Amino acid sequence: MIFLRRQLPLLITMITGLLFAGQYYVPHPASEQLLTSATKWLQIVGGFALVLGVTSLFHQHAAKIRRKEEGWGYSLVLYAGMLGTIAVGLWANGKESLEGAATAFGWVYSYMLVPLQGTMFAILAFFIASAAYRSFRARSREAAVLLIAAVIVMMGRVPLGEYLIPLSGDVSQWILNVLNASVRRAILIGVSLGAVALSFKIIFGVERSYLGGGKE
Amino acid sequence: MLKIDRRIIFLVIGLCTLLPLLYPVGLPIKISSEVRGVYNHIESLPERSVLFMSLDFDPASKPELHPQAIALLRHAFRKNLRVVTMTLWVSGTGLADQIVTQVAKEMGKENGKDYVFLGWSPGNTAVIINLGQNLYNTFPSDYGGKPTKGLPVLDGVQSLKDVTYMVSLGAGNPGVEAWYVFGKDKYKFEMGGGCTGVMAPGLYPLLRSGQINGLIGGLRGAAEYESLIDQKGKAVAGMDAQSATHVAIIVLVIICNLFYFSMRRAAQQHSQVGS
Repeated sequence: MIFLRRQLPLLITMITGLLFAGQYYVPHPASEQLLTSATKWLQIVGGFALVLGVTSLFHQHAAKIRRKEEGWGYSLVLYAGMLGTIAVGLWANGKESLEGAATAFGWVYSYMLVPLQGTMFAILAFFIASAAYRSFRARSREAAVLLIAAVIVMMGRVPLGEYLIPLSGDVSQWILNVLNASVRRAILIGVSLGAVALSFKIIFGVERSYLGGGKE
Repeated sequence: MLKIDRRIIFLVIGLCTLLPLLYPVGLPIKISSEVRGVYNHIESLPERSVLFMSLDFDPASKPELHPQAIALLRHAFRKNLRVVTMTLWVSGTGLADQIVTQVAKEMGKENGKDYVFLGWSPGNTAVIINLGQNLYNTFPSDYGGKPTKGLPVLDGVQSLKDVTYMVSLGAGNPGVEAWYVFGKDKYKFEMGGGCTGVMAPGLYPLLRSGQINGLIGGLRGAAEYESLIDQKGKAVAGMDAQSATHVAIIVLVIICNLFYFSMRRAAQQHSQVGS
C-alpha cells in the first residue's frame, strides 16, 4: 500500500510537473492540445473541489451545533443562510434575474450579500483611522520615515491634499513609482525564486508535506 | 489624549465621510499617467475591436471597482467596441451581470451583438489558460445560457490571442497579476488593470516594466477615468469624502504624535530631575 500512498503520488507529481514545465516552451499543436485538455480537467476538478468545500463546511458546522460548542448559534445562522440560498438558487436555476425582473436568488444577492459585504468593508475605514491614531507614532527614525512617506502619499492621492500642498501629488507619484516599485520588485523576485525552488523540491519529491501525514 | 475614546475617532470619520457627500465641494482631479495609459489605449482602438474585461471582484470592493467598471464600459461602448466580459470571482457574478446590463442598456447596446457576459467558471487561473487555448471550450454558453459559438460579438475570436485589449479589474487573487502571469505572458495581448487603492502599490512593478500599460487605482483612479470620459459619477462624488477622511486621519496622526513627544519629553525631564 506504500506504493499507492507515497510512491504513486510522487511519480504523478514528478511526471506532470516536468511535462508541463517543458510544455510551456514547446509551441507544437500536440503540446497545445495537451495543455487544453489538462486545463479543462483542472476546471472540472475545480468544480468538484467546490462541492467538497461546501460539504466540509456543512460537516464542520453540523458537529459544532450537535456538540453545542461556543458560538453554535452562528453555525445555525450559517446553515440557514446556505440552505436558504441554495434552495432559492436552484429554484431560480442560478439566475439573478429573468427578463429584467429579479428572482428570489437575485434578491438574496442584491439585498443581503451586497450590503453585508459592503458594510464589512466600510467598517474598515473606521478601524484603520482608530488604529492609525493609536499606533502610527514616530518611535524611531525608521518609523518616522514611514510616517512621513505615508502622510505624503495620503495627501497626494486626494484632491484636497493636492490643493493644500500642490507638490504632494508629484512627490507621492515619485514614492509610488520609484521607491515603492523597486522595493516591491525586489520582493517579487525573491518570492518568485522561492516559488521556483519550492516547485523543484515538490517535483523531485524532496518536499512531501502536501501528501499529508497519514500512516504508511 | 493618547488614549482618546475611539468612538470620538469613529464620529470624526463618520462626519468627514457624510458631510462632503451631502455638500460636495468638487475639487479638481489631476489625471495621472497610469490612468491615462488605459484611457489612451482604448481611445486608440478602431471601432469593433474586441475589449475583454474581467470583473474580478465581489460586493466588498464595490465602492472602488464598480465606478471603474461603469466608466470603462461607458468609454468602450461610446467607442463602439465589442465588449466581452466575465468574472473569476463567483461571488461577483451577479454584480458583474448588473454592471454590464445596466451600462449596455444605458448606451443602447445589444446583447450578443455588441457585448456578452460570459459569467463565471470554476478553476481560477486554469480558466485563464483555458481561455487562451479556446474560448468556446471554456464558456460553451454565456451567462444567459445562449451558445457562445456564432455570437456576432465573438466573430473572429477563438481565444485570448484574438483579443485587442484586455482589462482586469481585480480586488485580489485571481486578479490583475494572475491575468498577466497566466494570460498576457503566454498569449501576448495588450493589457491594462484596475484595482482597489490598497492593492495599487503592489502592481506598480508590472506598470513600470510595461507588463501592463495602465493602472486604475482605487476610487481616485475611477474618478480620474470619469473625468477623462467627461461623465462624472459616483467616484468623483466620493473623492470629496475621501479627501476629508484622508486629511482627518493625517490630522489625528499628527495630534497623536505631538502628544506622544510632549509626554516623552516630560518623562525625560522628570527622570533627569529625579537623578
